[in-house]
Amino acid sequence: MSTIADRRIEDAGLEAGIARLTPEKIKKTIEAVLAGECGARLKTYIETCVRCGMCAKACHYYMSHKDPSYAPVGKVKQTMWEIINKKGDVTPEFIHQCAQVAYTECNLCRRCMHYCPLGIDTAYIMSVVRRICHKLGVTPQYIQDTAHSHSATMNQMWVKDDEWIDTLFWQEDEARDEMPNLRIPLDKEGADFMYSVIAPEPKFRTQLIYQAAYIFNAAGLNWTMPSFPGWDNSNMAMFTGDSEIMARIERQHFEAAQRLRVKRIVMGECGHAFRAVYDMGNRWLGWKWHPVPVVHSIEFFWELLTSGKIKIAQKYPGPVTVHDPCNTIRGRGLMDKLREVVNMICDGIVEMHPNREHNYCCCAGGGVINCGPPFKNVRIVGNKIKAEQLKATGVKTCVAPCHNCHGGLDDIIHKFDVGMELKFLGDIIYQCMEKPEAE
Amino acid sequence: MNQLYDLAVGPLTWLAIGVFVIGSLYRLAAMYAMAKKKDGPYLTYMSWRFSLRSIMHWITPFGSLGWKENPALTIVTFIFHICLILVPIFLMSHIVLWDQFKGISYPALPDGAADLMSVAVILACLYFIWRRVSDPTVKFVTSCQDWTVLILVLLTFCTGFLSYHQIGSSLVMTTLHILCGEAMLIAIPFTRLSHMIFGLFTRAYIGSEFGNVRKARDW
Amino acid sequence: MLKKSLMLLAVAAVSLCFFGPAAFSQEDMKNVPNEVFGAPRRPAAVFPHDAHNEKAQIEDCAVCHHGGKDGKMDKEDMTAGTACVECHPVAGAPGQTSLMRAFHKQCVGCHLERKAGPVACGQCHVNK
Ligand code: HEM
Ligand code: HEM
Ligand code: SF4
Ligand code: SF4
Repeated sequence: MSTIADRRIEDAGLEAGIARLTPEKIKKTIEAVLAGECGARLKTYIETCVRCGMCAKACHYYMSHKDPSYAPVGKVKQTMWEIINKKGDVTPEFIHQCAQVAYTECNLCRRCMHYCPLGIDTAYIMSVVRRICHKLGVTPQYIQDTAHSHSATMNQMWVKDDEWIDTLFWQEDEARDEMPNLRIPLDKEGADFMYSVIAPEPKFRTQLIYQAAYIFNAAGLNWTMPSFPGWDNSNMAMFTGDSEIMARIERQHFEAAQRLRVKRIVMGECGHAFRAVYDMGNRWLGWKWHPVPVVHSIEFFWELLTSGKIKIAQKYPGPVTVHDPCNTIRGRGLMDKLREVVNMICDGIVEMHPNREHNYCCCAGGGVINCGPPFKNVRIVGNKIKAEQLKATGVKTCVAPCHNCHGGLDDIIHKFDVGMELKFLGDIIYQCMEKPEAE
Repeated sequence: MNQLYDLAVGPLTWLAIGVFVIGSLYRLAAMYAMAKKKDGPYLTYMSWRFSLRSIMHWITPFGSLGWKENPALTIVTFIFHICLILVPIFLMSHIVLWDQFKGISYPALPDGAADLMSVAVILACLYFIWRRVSDPTVKFVTSCQDWTVLILVLLTFCTGFLSYHQIGSSLVMTTLHILCGEAMLIAIPFTRLSHMIFGLFTRAYIGSEFGNVRKARDW
Repeated sequence: MLKKSLMLLAVAAVSLCFFGPAAFSQEDMKNVPNEVFGAPRRPAAVFPHDAHNEKAQIEDCAVCHHGGKDGKMDKEDMTAGTACVECHPVAGAPGQTSLMRAFHKQCVGCHLERKAGPVACGQCHVNK
């Protein structure tokens, strides 16, 4: 049996963070967070947990390592219980351990809620631990950099305002080779929807913007993208525990949509961004629901395909398997629509088991992949269970409508020799749809 | 000994029931007030329909993923909890005391059935104890309090069983039993046993959040 | 020597507790008759009438064999010879003291009051 202390990982952000801590500062910060931001939820979760261990089997980390210190309740024991029992009198080294557990050994995937008879939200408890670490300035360096970027530029990847517009022009230009009158309409007031993406798309995956623009143009939709900050729907501050920046980002995103007076926001194929917009930002900002309706790509493609705005010329060959991203499935219940879309565009599905709401996480989400190279190995080894699931399907293609999932699955596919290609819905739709020019 | 019995069966019983009832109500009220003050956004998602939907699935044996994946524990814990709640309420010996001291009387379980159920609870406690020492995950998270409440339940049922079967001195055993039962009642609002009071609400909240916001099952 | 005699005394005391009631009881009454209950769920309560009264120094029959009217107990009214069940039916109607309740209150109540005598279930309902 090991504990977090036995697998300490050096990270520049964490080391620098704990070097600045004093016991007084730790205690004061913890008390401030517990008394100021936490209430009945945390209290009942800590108190009513009967320590039955049923949640262990929920967590892919536990299932992969079979070590109690990776079980959801084991993580809470090593962090929150200790913090509360000691009333905040903990050492800087202990804070390092809390950060390592909360940022890099929990994807906030919420699978454990399907296992806990008392409905204890371990993901929430881990978020509170992150919040404390954030306030103490003990955050992994890589993810903190993305949060800094958010705070300075309102996007995750230090994309400058002109670079953003440039990138869109560039993709528009490229796509016009294929569809001569294609447009990526910027700042079009009163459009039916605003399309927002995560900053890694303009940075590394411009092809996805190209594809989306192509699909929307082919379907003849009235859409727009903002040329100004608010275009990035991702939110790493949500994962570092920086609720203030998290809320600023969400406000900016909603305000962009309001400024353009669009009817709704359509979000690209990203899970965590959807969580931020759909579930987190509005609460912190004091809105019960969203000031502008939000729709994830899964649902939007479903609309386009069922209404016949997009037609599939030839289905994608061979059966595929479907990965259910936590944030749109456990987070928004899109499992049926996802399968309907995949069935409309692909030649049959071979399901993984367990699937749908019970699906194992990709192990990249919750900001874990964003914590970068120091923690990469734990993350990949910690998801052997998912690799086995993928292998068991025996198919060559996995559809995963989420950026993070692509990152996580890509890593385990290589590490465990799964031999599978990964696809976004957009990839397949773009490839298989009836293309106007082809007529 | 008679005096101790008198104390246990009289004033201490009322004290225990009072602490249990008032303590539980107080804790619920205080928690609700705190939730209103600090967890407002979360309270707004509460929904009767989704709360009950979730609770119904979770009070059904094997009605949820968690139960299905832990079959042995599921069987034991359902038997344990059902007997744990039914026996003290419908045990003839208990009803006789209500009748004697308060003139309250209602139908009782047959003695044989109640005895079997008591044995079931004792065996379930032994199973829980075995899990706590042998299952590495459970062992890792077990603390003193988990042992205390488990032993308290076990002692209450053991002493009850022994006094019913008149093993050992009736007076001593029955007095011990009553004291244990009272300790257990008093412990409910203030220890891990408070899952009895809060458990339905934590489940109801997650049920509401999954049903209302996330449009997904939580079982 | 002292130790030995103390031991003897203790043994004597314990055996008195166990066998005493049987040894002193009158042959005609060892238990409270429980046939009226039909199918009683506990053994008949141990009650050696004469020995009990001698030990408890009860001379006045009305201490137990009381009378009463309209739900009020009358300690002056001596009712020995009348079966308890005549006033305390097995299934007591609301406002009435049922037979079982009457026995429990009468016996256990007095034992608690005097801080002597059996009070726990198994002390009276001794399993055979
Ligand atoms: C909630 C706490 C309690 C529980 C779970 C509990 C449980 C039990 C059990 C399991 C038995 C034995 C049944 C059998 O084996 O057939 C029993 C017997 C008994 N209990 Fe309790 N009990 C509790 C509290 C109390 C209290 C507070 C009192 C008194 C005020 C009491 C008085 C008795 C008596 C008099 C017996 C009968 C013993 C006999 O038949 O000789 N119990 N109880
Ligand atoms: C009425 C509502 C109650 C509910 C919904 C409930 C639910 C649960 C659940 C889900 C567990 C975890 C599964 C397990 O480990 O067996 C548990 C464990 C436990 N419950 Fe309850 N319970 C209730 C009442 C009580 C009461 C009244 C007591 C005792 C006074 C009690 C004593 C225990 C104990 C001792 C355990 C821990 C078993 C272990 O050590 O693993 N429960 N309960
Ligand atoms: S990774 Fe998922 S299953 Fe594991 S503790 Fe975190 S939220 Fe629970
Ligand atoms: S399943 Fe729930 S109650 Fe049991 S140990 Fe895990 S968090 Fe605690």
